[in-house]
Amino acid sequence: MAGMSGKVSVVGVGHTAYGRLPGVSAWALQAEAVRNAVADAGLSIADVDGLFTESQFSEPLLMHGTILGRQLGMRPRFLSTQSQGGATCISLIQTAALAIDAGMCSVAAVVYGDNAKTGQPNIYGLAQMGRGQADFVAHGLLGGPAMEALAAQRYRWEYGVTDEQFGSVAVTFRRHASLTPHAQYREPMSMDDYLASRWIAEPLRLYDCAITTDGGACVLLASTERARDTAQPGVQIIGMGQAHNLDGLRDKHHYTQFAGARSSREAYAMAGIGPRDVDVAEFYDCFTSTVLVTLEDYGFVGRGEAGAFAAEGGLSLSGALPSNTSGGLLSEANVTGWGQVIEAVRQLRGSCGARQVRGASTAVCSGHGGFQATHATLVLAGADAA
Amino acid sequence: MSQWEIPKPQPVMSEETAPFWEGTAKGELRVQRCAACGSLQLPASAVCSSCLSSDIAWIQVSGHGAVFSFTVVHHAFHPAFASEVPYVVADIELDEGPVLTASIVDVDHAEVKIGMEVEARFRRLDEEYVLCVFIPRGSKLPEGAPGDSGTESKQTGGK
Repeated sequence: MAGMSGKVSVVGVGHTAYGRLPGVSAWALQAEAVRNAVADAGLSIADVDGLFTESQFSEPLLMHGTILGRQLGMRPRFLSTQSQGGATCISLIQTAALAIDAGMCSVAAVVYGDNAKTGQPNIYGLAQMGRGQADFVAHGLLGGPAMEALAAQRYRWEYGVTDEQFGSVAVTFRRHASLTPHAQYREPMSMDDYLASRWIAEPLRLYDCAITTDGGACVLLASTERARDTAQPGVQIIGMGQAHNLDGLRDKHHYTQFAGARSSREAYAMAGIGPRDVDVAEFYDCFTSTVLVTLEDYGFVGRGEAGAFAAEGGLSLSGALPSNTSGGLLSEANVTGWGQVIEAVRQLRGSCGARQVRGASTAVCSGHGGFQATHATLVLAGADAA
Repeated sequence: MSQWEIPKPQPVMSEETAPFWEGTAKGELRVQRCAACGSLQLPASAVCSSCLSSDIAWIQVSGHGAVFSFTVVHHAFHPAFASEVPYVVADIELDEGPVLTASIVDVDHAEVKIGMEVEARFRRLDEEYVLCVFIPRGSKLPEGAPGDSGTESKQTGGK
């Protein structure tokens, strides 16, 4: 273990109900998530002196943290709003950990919430991409699924991945969601259901794509020393890494290998572990194809082997690498990367009931986004392992 | 375009991208070339992304390339495309190197494959913009295809 390993812990997690919550603003969802995380930790909002936020996607705000912090009555010592697509949550957690270790705040709330399902429509999702930098919209290349489809098609072609291999990711994660009381989609999904779902952008079907959620989520961090006085079993951050392939799909390598290879290497090195030491993985599963590529990037399987690994049950609760144990972005909820971290914490606390991975002591979370550009990795350890 | 139609999202003519769109309006596909290190790049950047030189110019390229990857889009992510789905969008590896994202038109979707050779055509999007699209290389220039407002031109031509 090296550097920041073990110095900072997750002391609280909280979220709202997930699903269709008409009439509830993004701010209200964020505030409720903070309230729940603070209560989970046995702390009060007055203890929280660091605020780390991502703006709701449906209303991108440059100074989002100032607006949320005011509504929470906070006068924080450290404030940061970031935007890295699906890597934002883990990047914010890493920044908060550094701030805590530097003594610039003591308890940090990392928050996101959006009413993406019933609120303001965000069908283009392009305002963030910059003037003149996303001209392919005029060709009808709009939205995450169409862009991901370009990577997934190439990945399929290079490795001969089958529809059923993609589908096994969706079906497995749905089974995990069915064991998760708060998950948004709990009805069983069969392979036939998957194959019958409509095309969104070939080779991606509806069930290859992340769901849309009204919901908010919060992760609360403190120094590991401070964590000993809080209500929950400690879960330590033992590894952190980031890497970004900012050329995205303009670089021909980024269709079948994401920045996760570099990011995970950094995180494993800090944690002093390798992929074989991981008990639970919570992948940023914005698409089934993203999970397969990340499995390879993180060294869990060799290049081109992820499809067979998933189809043979490798990702299931009894498999070699139990993954997205609450259903992930594909079935539990889409609160960007927050759901992944919260579920990893719960697995390491041993509080997951029917979906608990027995003896889970080390978990890895991935965050991935910006149309194949951004990536961040977090390695967490339960009290026994740390 | 009739007035009740929803307009398609436009590209944006910025300081960096204006020469690209001036090119397509003349039936030319252009990429940026760095005078300092010779790198070719798309999309337009303020500097050379290889050496950070500001001494970059636009050059015309052949308009020939191959499909690096593609998707058949079935879901209309924008209402303006509701009447066009399904359609093909591809990442085209130009013979000169850069990758360009663009439609492949006038093709049976089942015939689009990774590695398929394509060539540029130019089609008017609206009053302001002409898009560079691609067709399978060697296929005949279609005449009066639906949705074509008669402004199509070959790379060598120009309007």
